[in-house]
Parts: sequence; structure tokens; C-alpha cells
Amino acid sequence: MKKLFRLVNIQLLGMLGSMLAIGARRSRKNARVLYAGIVLFTVLMGGIAFFYLYGMGSILKSYGKLDALPQIAMALASMAVIISTAFKVKGTIFGFKDYDLVMSLPVSTGSVVASRIILLYCINIYFVLLLMVPMTVAYGILAGPDFSFYVMGILSFFLVPMVPVILASILGTIITYVASRFRSMNLVGIIIAFAVLLAYMGFSMTFRGSGEEIADIGDMISRRVNSIYPLAGYYTDAVCKGDFISFAFFAVISVASFLLYSYVIGRVFKKVNTDVTTGRYKAGFALGELKAASPLKALYVKELKRFFSSTVYVLNTGFGIVLLTIGSIAAFFVDINKLAAGAGGAVILGQLLPAAVSFCVVMSCTTASSISLEGRNLWILKSLPVDARCIFYSKILVNLTITAPALADSIMLAIALRLGVAEGVILFLVSAACSIFISLFGLWVNLRFYNLDWTSETVVVKQSAAMIITIFTGMALVGLQFLLFAAAGSITGAYAIYLPAVIILSLLILRSLQADGIRRFKVL
Amino acid sequence: MLRIENFSKSYKSAAKAVDSLSLEVSRGDIFGFIGHNGAGKTTTIKAIAGILDFEEGDILIDGMSIKKEPVACKRIMAYIPDNPDLYEHLTGIKYLNFIGDIYEVPKSERYALINEYSDAFDITGNLGDTISSYSHGMKQKLALVSALIHKPKLMVLDEPFVGLDPKASHTLKTIMQQMCNEGAAIFFSTHVLEVAEKLCNKIAILKRGMLVACGPTMEVKGDNSLEDVFLELIDSNV
Repeated sequence: MKKLFRLVNIQLLGMLGSMLAIGARRSRKNARVLYAGIVLFTVLMGGIAFFYLYGMGSILKSYGKLDALPQIAMALASMAVIISTAFKVKGTIFGFKDYDLVMSLPVSTGSVVASRIILLYCINIYFVLLLMVPMTVAYGILAGPDFSFYVMGILSFFLVPMVPVILASILGTIITYVASRFRSMNLVGIIIAFAVLLAYMGFSMTFRGSGEEIADIGDMISRRVNSIYPLAGYYTDAVCKGDFISFAFFAVISVASFLLYSYVIGRVFKKVNTDVTTGRYKAGFALGELKAASPLKALYVKELKRFFSSTVYVLNTGFGIVLLTIGSIAAFFVDINKLAAGAGGAVILGQLLPAAVSFCVVMSCTTASSISLEGRNLWILKSLPVDARCIFYSKILVNLTITAPALADSIMLAIALRLGVAEGVILFLVSAACSIFISLFGLWVNLRFYNLDWTSETVVVKQSAAMIITIFTGMALVGLQFLLFAAAGSITGAYAIYLPAVIILSLLILRSLQADGIRRFKVL
Repeated sequence: MLRIENFSKSYKSAAKAVDSLSLEVSRGDIFGFIGHNGAGKTTTIKAIAGILDFEEGDILIDGMSIKKEPVACKRIMAYIPDNPDLYEHLTGIKYLNFIGDIYEVPKSERYALINEYSDAFDITGNLGDTISSYSHGMKQKLALVSALIHKPKLMVLDEPFVGLDPKASHTLKTIMQQMCNEGAAIFFSTHVLEVAEKLCNKIAILKRGMLVACGPTMEVKGDNSLEDVFLELIDSNV
């Protein structure tokens, strides 16, 4: 047990050290920004979760079904854990960087597996708390439960992610294993990941509608969750009814599943690890015709291949655009104008669309982690006979390629929703301007806040200071549209200020990249 | 071909990793750069390759300053680090073609050069596999092929023999000698003193960032073995 805790300790330190710059050679500036970002993210997401759950709880209460709220929150948290963890399995449980070192230590394979699952558990506990704490507060306000609710509820926070982490690691192993059988294994993995994410979004969307619909759906979900995931029933009885026996069942099943899984996987760990991490190896290659390209094109293609080689990179920077494209195509078949009118009539699509489209665009920033992702390969770029500008342009071009569908989406939306010419043109220009801005800004930030010592791509793509700054700046850029609209009073007036401002900002960043950016790249 | 003039480098105001280093590598030289761990060899090599910024001194490649004309210098030079971390998501052939594109190796010559060097290092059959499936030695061979296909005038190598099998080591030594016979220059670091002694016509020994011996191999070692000279210099209080 002592060895297990030492393993967990060292691995957690490794992960947090890479993420929070503990003991790293980067400046404290990175860590400060990251801490501030994490606090801001926690407050923002916790606040959103509270208002969402409080609203849902109010409706459920009016139909006498408030007890479904903890169960729904638990189901959402469990699904979020499964979805987000399944794609971290490769690199965390299997194929992690220090596999050889850890496996050569005098500890049992079961302990190694357990330490890796505990690592995943620790990552997830934060996200579970982000949903379950606001639920507890919302339910507490609405139901006024007795003291046992809080005791059971708080203890349950730490049990909720256990079984989902195990289910996710099974799902993740299957996905990795299936994808590794195909020639384009990364592409297959990405497609499966998008399909699962869209399914999760569909599940979350079922909670929208009229009060009665929500109450019915809540009831239905509650029953279905109970039948699929019996632990949810124990959880509800423990938390809402203060049933200690149910709590004991919930705790014992969660912990026992964890131990059993560690033991079983420990028995086949080496074989599964070899199977899921070994690339396709065929040898017998015969040299054929070679295609030549310019240095910029070669760098661009290399960067594009890097993007598609990482599931976590694609999922985190491409999902907004995929969602936007699906929405744009759906706009031809769904009467969104009617839906918008039904939502209160105050929604004016032409005014909201540029903000919605630009939100999807600014969430799709590949450049904010493109320097960090070079990691130990940075020596290649730095030793090549190409100007740093050329390297920057290749990274910016990849981001522009990823966000390019937003331009087509804007045209599709303008046609499908029969927007006026001015509104259509504005929508297109805002997409283009935000796309250029975020591509340049991401790179500009990453040159200031970089992490070349990472051991997991997830840390760079999801949890880095550069990414957090870029995402919040992008969100501010979207929020600015509402402020300007409120100040100017008309869409044309607002965007007459907004578009030139974004273009001027982009030009300033480009200029900075061409001078200060090159200097910074040299000293990396 | 390579002239290092009073080069100094320190990291974050710590003691100098390299202190006022000056040396010259001429065309046709195979120049061995030896020193204990932490002596400053890799720092010097990275500065020559243009991947490490420095403030004091200058490094000239074929008369051009790596600080003032980095792209022109890099175009005629090849660098291989001690641990070649390559783009794991690319196949071997895609990596070589990428390097060919960057160095603008004519399409007409590219096929023949890749074929020649990948055959020499026995990796042609593996070029279709992703680099992630390569062993350390295979990555080292691929890095060597990528360095050779653009016909550099100066090769800068950090511990090039580590990880290579005996046949590949022999091939590399032969290629190094061929290149120098054709007028190129090679500057490499090594801990294998027997290799340095046999292969290099010039040697430099670095101790705590300072040059303690430099010149033709025969002059540096005299009647002793290079190992004896090295140990004497490193253990002395110089």
C-alpha cells in the first residue's frame, strides 16, 4: 500500500508539475496565470452549473419530483467523467511516457494499474465537484433537507467518479484497441470520439423544453438511469432519504469495483499495453515517387498531420467547428426562426448569429498550443534553414484551415435563415475576422506562455496557461459584440466598430509576431 | 568552415557553461570534441547549430555569422542532437521528404540520395512505418539519413554513435571520411575516446566550459593514448 501511495504521489506531482509549472524551468508568470485561470473557470462553470441546476430543480419541485435532481446531476457527472476520461486512457493507463521506468520498479503490476486509475480519478474529482457542489447548494435551497443530506452528499462526491472512471477506462481501451486495427487509427479514434461527444450533447439537450416536459424527462431519465446504472438508485436513496444501507452499498460497490478492476487489468496489463501502443509495423517498404513542395507547404502539411495525429488536440480545438457545421446544415431542415420565436420572440437571429458563430470560431484555436506541442521536437524547427516567420505562417495557416468551414457555415446559415444582405455579409466578415484574430492571438500567447517539458498532450491542449488566456480572450471578444450592440443600438452600427477593431488588433498582433515573436522563438 | 570566436554562454546568471571558447574547423577536418559530462559540449554544439541563443562571442559558418545570417548558415549545415526526438506521427519517408522540401533538395536528386543513404543504414524497408514504431537506433539512423540527403558542407553531431549497431557505426565512419575527402567538415562530440583517436584528425578537450587542449590529434595526445591525456587533463587542477 505504501508503494502504491508513493507511485500515486510521484505521478500526481509529475502531472501537476507539468501543468502548474511546479519545479519547472518556466517562470512563475505561467503558474500565476494558470492559477487565476483555474479560479476564474471554476467560478464561471460552477456559477453556470448552479443556475442551470437551480432552474431545473425549481421546475422539478413544482411537479413534486425534486428528488430526481441529485440523480440527474450524478448521471450528468458520471457521463461527463466517462466521455472525458475514455479519451485519456491512452497516455494515462496505457502507453504512458514512463511505462518502462515504472514497470521496472519492484512493485506489483496491479499497483501500477491502481496508481494510474487513481491518477485518472484525481483528475476527475475536480470536474465532479464542479457539478455536484452546485447541485448540493441548489437542492439544499429548494428542498431544505436535514443534516444527513449534506453528510451523505459530501461523502458521495468522492465515490461518484469511481465506477465511471473504470467504465471509461474499459471504453477507452476498446476504442484504442479498435482504432489501432485500422491503418488510419487516429482518424478512426477521432471519428468515434466525435460520435460519442455528439451523443452526450444530445443527452444533455433532452433537458430543454417546457416545465412539464423537463419534469417528465427528469422522471423518465431517473427511472432509466436506475435501470442502467443501479448505483444511481443507491446514491439517491442515500443522499435524499438518508438511507445508510444504500450509502454502504454505494461505497462498497464503488471501492470493490475499483479493486477488482485493478486486479483483473493487472493480470493482462502488459499484453494489453503492448497491443494498444504498438503502431502498425509492416516493414518491406519500397521507395516510390516522391512529391516535392515548398518549405512553407512542407511545414504546413507537417503541422496539419500533427493536428490530426492527436485525438485530444482535434477534440478540443475542432469540436466547435464540427458543431457549427452540423448546426448550419440542420438550419436547412429545422425552422430555427420558428424555434427562436417560440423561445420568447425577443431573440433576433441576425443579431445573435455573429456572436454564436464567432464563439465556435474562437473556441477552435490550434495555435495556442502549437509551440508547446513541439516539445522535444523543437530542435528540428530551430535547426532548419527557414525563417521563424515561415514557421509561424504554417501554424497560422493550419488554424485558418480548421476554422475555414465557419465561412461556408456563415453562408449556409445566411441562406437557410433568409438573413438580409447586410446581416449575411456581417456574419461572414465576423467569422473571417475572428478566425484570423484567434489564429494570430493564440500563437502570440503561446510564445509568451509555453510548456515544452510536458509529458501529456492533454496538459498542453486543455490545461495550459496559453490555452486559458486564449479561450477567455476569445470569449471576451464574443461578449464585446453584445456590449457594442447595446451601445450602438443596431447591428450595422455595432459591427461598424467591431470589425475594424478586430482587424486592427489582428494587424498589431501580426506586427508583434514579426518582431518580438521572432525574438522570443529564438530564445525558446 | 567553422570558426568559434570567444564564445561564452551562461544560463540564468549561473556560472558560465562555456567560457571564451575559440576554435576553428577547416574543410576536410573530422574534429572531435570531448569532455566530461556537463563540460559544455552540448551547449557549444547547440549554439553552432543555431538553436541556442548566446550573447558573447560569435560563431561563423563558412564565413557567415550564425547570429546574423542563421538561415544561410543552417542551409549548408546539418545537426543531429544526442537524442534524436523526431516527429513520431510521420512515417520515415514522410520525414525525409519533409527535410528534402525544407532544404529544397531537387526532386531529381532526392530519390537517389534517400535511396543511397537509407540503404547504407539498412532502413529502407522501414521507411513506410511511423517513427513512433522505431527503436532508438533506427531513429538515429533516420536522423543521419535526413542530415545527409541535403549534402551539408558542415555536419555537427552530438554523440552520433550512441545507439548505433556496429555495422551502422562503421557505415557512419566511412561516410564521414568520404565527406571530408570531398571537402566537407565534421564536428562531433563523443565519449568514446577510441573512436575519436582513430577517426579525428583534430581534437578539442573541454573542461568546465574551458578549452584545455586543442589541435591535431597527434599533437594533443603525443606518445600517450588519448584516454591517458584526457584523464590527466580532467583530473589536473588546470
